[in-house]
Amino acid sequence: MIRKGFQVAARLGYHRVLPGTPRILPRLNTAAAFGSSTESLVSRFCQEKTNLKDYALPNASWCPDMLSLYQEFVEKTKADGWIKLPSFKSNRDHIQGLKLPSGLAVSSDKSDWRIFTRCIQVEGQGYEYVIFFHPSKKNSVCLFQPGPYLEGPPGFAHGGSLAAMMDETFSKTAYLAGEGLLTLSLNIRFKNLIPVGSLAVLNVDVEKIEDQKLYMSCITLSRDQQTVYAKSSGVFLQLQLEEESSQ
Amino acid sequence: MNERLLSSEEVILKDYSVPNPSWSKDLRLLYDQYMKKCEDGSWKRLPSYRDVAVQETEDFKNFFHGYRCLDLSWHFSHTCFSCAHPDSKLIKEEQMPQARVFIRSYEDGLGFEFVMFHNDVEKKTVCLFQGGPYLQGLSGWLHGGAMATMIDITSGMAASIGERIVTANLNIDFKRPVPLYSVVVINSQLYKAEGRKLFVSCDVRSVDGKTLYAEATSEKLPLSFFWLICKAGS
Repeated sequence: MIRKGFQVAARLGYHRVLPGTPRILPRLNTAAAFGSSTESLVSRFCQEKTNLKDYALPNASWCPDMLSLYQEFVEKTKADGWIKLPSFKSNRDHIQGLKLPSGLAVSSDKSDWRIFTRCIQVEGQGYEYVIFFHPSKKNSVCLFQPGPYLEGPPGFAHGGSLAAMMDETFSKTAYLAGEGLLTLSLNIRFKNLIPVGSLAVLNVDVEKIEDQKLYMSCITLSRDQQTVYAKSSGVFLQLQLEEESSQ
Repeated sequence: MNERLLSSEEVILKDYSVPNPSWSKDLRLLYDQYMKKCEDGSWKRLPSYRDVAVQETEDFKNFFHGYRCLDLSWHFSHTCFSCAHPDSKLIKEEQMPQARVFIRSYEDGLGFEFVMFHNDVEKKTVCLFQGGPYLQGLSGWLHGGAMATMIDITSGMAASIGERIVTANLNIDFKRPVPLYSVVVINSQLYKAEGRKLFVSCDVRSVDGKTLYAEATSEKLPLSFFWLICKAGS
């Protein structure tokens, strides 16, 4: 009877945290729960008519490799079905009109929140990146240039900064490919160090979607693909956002 | 609260791992508890600087007591760190002129507020961490990447052996998201050394220890050894 209740709740798109449950949210009947198509998720996410600043655009700090690869992908957005994802100051800006499900919704409305990867605002010092997404292939490419603030070993990016870039790329891919919202796991094998100020290319694929989880793999390469910087995988939990009630 | 303008040298030498007004009550209480543990010398508070060169020097002093020639004044005139190491096989590398420890690149309370305590006999490092609003993932929650960063850095401290180490593998299982502004305790433990590989386990819990936010394992290597593996191909 409880299971039937969950199915009904899932169809209504309403999630409730049950007291005493070890999981944050109950298991859902996946077939009923996730109806949003990738196309509708993308169009809502990208918000073309907006005054919000898009940080995923070239600036003076971008190295020549990053600029040239960016241009190549911009060409692909015209003919090959690729989409350049905008990158706003906060994740909330990407989902206007939607809100987190009850178990995750936070009551206070602080406007000074910033997404971690866009917090270092001085151009070129922190995370310079842009993500391109292919809706039908469910594949993402992130162009990432780590700045001097992300240094670990002298002249090279700290492993933690690449881990964060991977989590962010997985996160956007998971959301658009299937409403993936929360990181469940990250597994990273570091192979080489990325020189500060150079381009690393993260290629993310969705391997499967099963049991309310999205499984993704990532390979991070140099521009010329001759150096493998890291291989990683990520698993994200699917959770449906709710419509914000009009007040 | 008005602060006088610090001279540039004072800014460079400022230790950030001490309480400031943005620290919550939970963080301050835990800090006091761990400072008490330091009284008998078994635990040590690790200072934390914004300047990479200063941080490196302090890390070196903390973990490699016998080494004498590295002092601050020498360090300001030489930006290279690794060529000073007795058995370093690396070519001279200059640090980037604007290199900064990025977890210290925020104003008080906005980013990473943390302090680490290290027990060298037990090979443990505990990090008390409070994440601020610039570390957001989903609205109101800490970004997984910010959590991964702190896990990676804390694990690195547990594995510290007196030479620079890097991460070869990092595996994190996230159990629950961490609310922004809350305090978590990251416990890391070096549990195995195999050849030059160092294995660290880590868990992230709430202040009362009852909520588990994440578990992680990582494999660390000395940088010199990591370079050898890279050149050999993998």
